[in-house]
Amino acid sequence: MTVPRVPPAAIARDVRVWDPLLRITHWSFLLLIPTMWWTAENSKWALHRQTGLVLIGLLMFRIIWGFMGPRTARFSDFVKGPGAVIAYLRGQMAGAATQIGHSPLGGWSTLALLGAMLLQASLGLFAGDPYDGMTGPLNPLVGVMTADAITELHETFFWVIAGFIGLHLTAIAFYTVRGDDLLSPMVSGDRPPIPGVAGIGPTPWGRAAVALALAAGFALWLAYGAPPIT
Amino acid sequence: MLRSPTARFLIAATLSGVLIACSGDGANGNAGSGEGPPIIKERQDNFEGIGDAFKAVRGELEKDTPDFILIAASASDINTRAAKIEGHFPTGTSVDDGFDTEALPAIWEKPEAFKAAAQKLVDESAMLVTVAGQGDKAATSAQAMTMGGACKGCHDKFRLDDEK
Repeated sequence: MTVPRVPPAAIARDVRVWDPLLRITHWSFLLLIPTMWWTAENSKWALHRQTGLVLIGLLMFRIIWGFMGPRTARFSDFVKGPGAVIAYLRGQMAGAATQIGHSPLGGWSTLALLGAMLLQASLGLFAGDPYDGMTGPLNPLVGVMTADAITELHETFFWVIAGFIGLHLTAIAFYTVRGDDLLSPMVSGDRPPIPGVAGIGPTPWGRAAVALALAAGFALWLAYGAPPIT
Repeated sequence: MLRSPTARFLIAATLSGVLIACSGDGANGNAGSGEGPPIIKERQDNFEGIGDAFKAVRGELEKDTPDFILIAASASDINTRAAKIEGHFPTGTSVDDGFDTEALPAIWEKPEAFKAAAQKLVDESAMLVTVAGQGDKAATSAQAMTMGGACKGCHDKFRLDDEK
């Protein structure tokens, strides 16, 4: 990376790439997914259910944030067609980053990771057997054999999640080796400036409060077995 | 390569976490399920069988036209397995003995109550075989729920559960 020599006063400052709520949501997965695994392995079903509901709440927040969050959080910003992905893959071989936020490839990776977590958590809502310990809050809505099949799928699908996480970590390591530090911006929120590219600006806390309230309300509604709202 | 010290810390923490997890797994494997008496696995498989058979019963009863022959066969399977429960709990195989089991010490503290709880499942499953043979869905459902009560009643007293 070549940064032109400039007088100290004019040195471009780091630009904000990721807002604090997106980062907190992201890093909470690092805590919650191992917790989900550990509670399942050790039959801590009450904790598994509670943690799962928190995880669903955070996933819902991330999805809502994908429509009303800052630029880099929005699906419309980072979900690109296959042409853009191919162009990115070709361009990456030559040049460095020219924009902030998810790359066309990273955008699809984000969708895959969020989608897999959402599917896994949704399966968990229906899993279990009321005569054999804890069940997900929506278990009574499906038949016993359906719940049984869902429970098995929920167990197996964990390995898909683990595989995606492995891929995610490998990709980050790959970019790091090539000199593109993706980890630091996800921690601090900022990255070194790119000429002509502005950061995301201040966090819209008002919209954040709305998104958080919607997500928490949805998770709570699920926790009570999704009762009819009248 | 990594600008932020926090980022470097995260890498270090992740790598140490992986190391700890790997070494931990080995240790658990030796102390836990691996070394338990075979009777623990045997009784767990027996209860799994009961659970599967009961699921099959409930699955049929959710249909408009249940297969009463299948229900009676499942109930009969439960009955055979229920009779084995009493002999599946030799002393020294509770969760307090350090094994990977949900068998509470109450099983050995109140042997008569445990025996009665197991007998209740024997009786109720035998009754389910009889009722299912008559082919009435409402009566069979009611008896299946009563038998489920025998499962739950015993679990509440003698099985480790973290629901509460």
